[in-house]
Amino acid sequence: MSVQLLSAKMAEVDVKVSPSEEPAAVSPVTPKAEENQNEVLKTEASAAGGNPNSSSNPTPSPSPELAEMPQTAQHNGESLVNRDGTVTEAPKMKKQIQFADQKQEFNKRPTKIGRRSLSRSISQSSTDSYSSAASYTDSSDDETSPRDKQQKNSKGSSDFCIKNIKQTDFGRREIEIAEQEMPALMALRKRAQGEKPLAGAKVVGCTHITAQTAVLIETLTALGAQCRWAACNIYSTQNEVAAALAERGLSVFAWKGESEDDFWWCIDRCVNLEGWQPKMILDDGGDLTHWIYKKYPNMFKKIKGIVEESVTGVHRLYQLSKAGKLCVPAMNVNDSVTKQKFDNLYCCRESILDGLKRTTDVMFGGKQAVVCGYGEVGKGCSAALKAMGAIVYVTEIDPICALQACMDGFRLVKLSEVIRQVDIVITCTGNKNVVVRENLDRMKNGCIVCNMGHSNTEIDVASLRTPELTWERVRSQVDHVIWPDGKRIVLLAEGRLLNLSCSTVPTFVLSITATTQALALIELYNAPEGRYKQDVYLLPKKMDEYVASLHLPTFDAHLTELSEEQAKYLGLNKNGPFKPNYYRY
Amino acid sequence: MKYRRSGATAPQSAVSCGRPPWRAREVLAPSSARGSSSVQVTELGAWRARCFKTTKLRKNVLADRGKSTRVRSGHCPLRKRQEESGRGIAEHRLRDRSGGAAGGSTHSLSLSHTQLIMSECAAKQPSKEAKESENAAEKYSAMTASKKGDASVGELCAFPPIASHKPVKKQIQFAEEKQEFSRFPIKAGRRSLSRSISQSSTDSYSSAASYTDSSDDETSPRDKTQINSKGTSDFCVKNIKQAEFGRHEIEIAEQEMSALISLRKRALGEKPLAGAKIVGCTHITAQTAVLIETLVALGAQCRWSACNIYSTQNEVAAALAEAGVAVFAWKGESEDDFWWCIDRCINMQGWQPNMILDDGGDLTHWVYKKYPSIFKKIRGIVEESVTGVHRLYQLSKAGKLCVPAMNVNDSVTKQKFDNLYCCRESILDGLKRTTDVMFGGKQVVVCGYGEVGKGCCAALKALGAIVYVTEIDPICALQACMDGFRVVKLNEVIRVVDMVITCTGNKNVVTRDQLDRLKNGCIVCNMGHSNTEIDVASLRTPELTWERVRSQVDHVIWPDGKRVLLLAEGRLLNLSCSTVPTFVLSITATTQALALIELYNAPEGRYKQDVYLLPKKMDEYVASLHLPTFDAHLTELTDEQAKYLGLNKNGPFKPNYYRY
Repeated sequence: MSVQLLSAKMAEVDVKVSPSEEPAAVSPVTPKAEENQNEVLKTEASAAGGNPNSSSNPTPSPSPELAEMPQTAQHNGESLVNRDGTVTEAPKMKKQIQFADQKQEFNKRPTKIGRRSLSRSISQSSTDSYSSAASYTDSSDDETSPRDKQQKNSKGSSDFCIKNIKQTDFGRREIEIAEQEMPALMALRKRAQGEKPLAGAKVVGCTHITAQTAVLIETLTALGAQCRWAACNIYSTQNEVAAALAERGLSVFAWKGESEDDFWWCIDRCVNLEGWQPKMILDDGGDLTHWIYKKYPNMFKKIKGIVEESVTGVHRLYQLSKAGKLCVPAMNVNDSVTKQKFDNLYCCRESILDGLKRTTDVMFGGKQAVVCGYGEVGKGCSAALKAMGAIVYVTEIDPICALQACMDGFRLVKLSEVIRQVDIVITCTGNKNVVVRENLDRMKNGCIVCNMGHSNTEIDVASLRTPELTWERVRSQVDHVIWPDGKRIVLLAEGRLLNLSCSTVPTFVLSITATTQALALIELYNAPEGRYKQDVYLLPKKMDEYVASLHLPTFDAHLTELSEEQAKYLGLNKNGPFKPNYYRY
Repeated sequence: MKYRRSGATAPQSAVSCGRPPWRAREVLAPSSARGSSSVQVTELGAWRARCFKTTKLRKNVLADRGKSTRVRSGHCPLRKRQEESGRGIAEHRLRDRSGGAAGGSTHSLSLSHTQLIMSECAAKQPSKEAKESENAAEKYSAMTASKKGDASVGELCAFPPIASHKPVKKQIQFAEEKQEFSRFPIKAGRRSLSRSISQSSTDSYSSAASYTDSSDDETSPRDKTQINSKGTSDFCVKNIKQAEFGRHEIEIAEQEMSALISLRKRALGEKPLAGAKIVGCTHITAQTAVLIETLVALGAQCRWSACNIYSTQNEVAAALAEAGVAVFAWKGESEDDFWWCIDRCINMQGWQPNMILDDGGDLTHWVYKKYPSIFKKIRGIVEESVTGVHRLYQLSKAGKLCVPAMNVNDSVTKQKFDNLYCCRESILDGLKRTTDVMFGGKQVVVCGYGEVGKGCCAALKALGAIVYVTEIDPICALQACMDGFRVVKLNEVIRVVDMVITCTGNKNVVTRDQLDRLKNGCIVCNMGHSNTEIDVASLRTPELTWERVRSQVDHVIWPDGKRVLLLAEGRLLNLSCSTVPTFVLSITATTQALALIELYNAPEGRYKQDVYLLPKKMDEYVASLHLPTFDAHLTELTDEQAKYLGLNKNGPFKPNYYRY
């Protein structure tokens, strides 16, 4: 997911294009989650019944298609594909279903949401694919909108709005599991608890509400902040987690399957409270900032800073800043070194193998793979495949990255030179139409085609929707596209992001992001007057280093400390920052 | 810290290419102080220069080997100690100074004295040592044998043979050191420290370098009148008759510098440097000659001098002179000669330079001091070394820089090759050549996980070694973790490891205390900055016995019999014990050529009186010129894709802050 190039404009393009290019709302259920599938499917099927809208979200949403799919998926899931990649039975009926869904979505999907969900930065939105864990208490028996219900937590407070406060125990367990894997935030709680660096901070937040975010929110609270929270995506909320937060006295306004109207209502409830004015904004996507900017511009007088996490949100902030309309300092945590490395290089290095294994059970040794693009994501993919014994080719447009690929021992080719011989094609360029119909026509039988890059534009999937080609869904997220001569290619996740659709994002990666956000808040809140002007800032290098250092204990890594003499020799502070800003790592 | 991305311009770094290039002053000034990588470059350069000097006639090899056998018989331990302590002091002083330079202090001439000494001792060392080590032998012997070594035969001492190794002649160096101390001008020492890797690194091409360097002729080139075959005498080299040898050298280098050759071809039609009068001051080696001849082919008139009094390959200089380039350089110039050569380059009736290509900043300094009026006509300075760049930033800060200058040292491609790729190969090469160690299953600790550390770790891991990493920067430490290395403190593993490699850019990373706890046979070496990382001075105590077992390899023996193998006496392993590939030099030379073209052809006003980084697009072009070597086929954007990404089809492809 090379997100650097993503911009709001592109996101909009996606919206327009997506209905035709991603016809099927694919369930987030991955093969490995099949044990849970019964349960999940039931839930989802009924949820879908309750919220017809829900089929429209490409990433997290359950789709009605699943209601009809389960038999095939469950019973034939394994037997459909032979080891050689041929399919014994062609459940063509499923194809129809997708297209039907597609149409439905096309008419129904609110534009806003489509764009937003596409604009999510990887780490948050990727929680959506935590399908086995997510929302298993999401009971849809209760059809009343949360807005119409009066609920109270055990302390008698009712300053929240969630699906069902009774799910709180489930949610608490989820949070506890997440806490195990987020040692950095827990350490931060301990380290900073004495001094309460956020004492008096009134934080209003708008992020995905998941167990990981809950750990973040509770950390902020432990550091002295008062928090009010809304969801930044109408589908991504884990209801039970929201309940657990509400039970602890946090003002949470979020549930899974909000309407567009609900979405803004929740945000408004967070911001607009008599006698409570936010001092800090933690945003993911820029919607909250946008709302305050539009409805309550006066609030900015009291606000000390905005922390923004997503590419889109950051882009919006830069636009505001350019137009001279940004009236408070903002912190761009998306581009911090640690976060970038984990979101791209390390995360993709693992998820490429995971995603391919889960979907195709392919063996990598000796396979010829071509990786399109040698940015951070491409470097990760190539390294992982090479380590598994695959023969890796790389295509690249940038000569510097191309030279890096050469020096790392990969053959640099043009796609058309190797397209006939490769077994796996992986795109991660951030570009569009990298693999076109012509390339697809020339692939060999059984070739696997998938996308690790940006959005769903890299593989020209639309060009495969022609009458002479037969599509067969052989598994969740796996399509066989069959040429008239019998050649099949295996298309994963219909060209959408493999790592978001077919594998999980480790909590450790989310922990990096959450810790970065927490430190950004602390930095902005405690900065002396005047240090930050009305502009968009990067997280100071020192804080970035601190995020990394908080995660080192996980590896039982022992950092060396500079002696006084050494620090003096290098002209550095003993506690960092250790590198100049332009250092490339 | 502040990351303003208003518009296309990004933060600390940023200027999207095609606009006024990145004004890098603030950003880069501290570079010499911080990144071990850049520091690496300087030191590397220094070392190249020293090693270079030691090279010798291939023809003499046999004779020299004969002599070296003789040489091994003397023994005078007392003298050895004295020499050693003297040397220790010199090293200390050197350390201080290079630390200061790295820290960004001004360069004072007074300090350069020690460096001269250092560069001299250093220079002497490999040549003689090579003679001793018959094991390592064949490959080294070809590179070595210095005249001076022969002269001091009488003072040679030797150690009793250790194990299978032949005895050593440490004394020789020391004797010579003294000689040189009195003999050589201050200037050279300092300058040689400031050398950037790529140019000066040719110095270690010892087998190739200067084998025609005949010292029979003791007349100073300044006193000789020589004429090339075309009747010109506007040059000053050792011996114009060596031109043919030099031509061969240049032809060999051309084979491995295909990027420059293809640049010649591509740009030949339009002659982008037509009318450019370039005055240059770099190491004069076969690789530089390829660069100079490329510049000439592109339409430039060149006058050239050497930036180091020892690094000149005389035969190459002769070949250049024969080809009509005004070259003023020979190996073993005096301080006076040095400045005379530079002056001859600049000061010519009816010829005023309009471009400067400098390595170390001496030429710029000279012009600035003596001919400030020349700057009116000069369109730009291209500077390659860390030191030179540092000087330029200082000038610019003081508001005294009156022409645009291009810093090619910090271009992405060059940096990656100087550090990551070069060290990844040379760590194995250096260790193998010196110790013949087998890496599989060995436990190795690498101190520092910057570019150099990353390269070393990757190489060692690939050979099956168990690698530990120590690091002070949490971000780099986390990278090490994610790359599968255990991050430890040195003390935790010091007792178990078989090899200790330092690449931190710091001082006293391995102290006596730790050396005491190393296990028997542990190899200790330095890939980092200068010779400060391992506290070698602390090993110069009476209870420890030093034995030179091979060229660049010392056994330090504890009273209980424990031995530690110290390589290159804690100096840079990759400069002392391995070579720098021409491919790496090709990257630098190409970058310089493109920087000249860029500055010369830039429209009036694009570059102000400041120090600039090479535009990203040019950097990418350097890389693309080297791709054919790998038979690599770059994909081109379609118009549609370029539009989608908002990029020009021909680059630049990345924003300036991109980390690669």
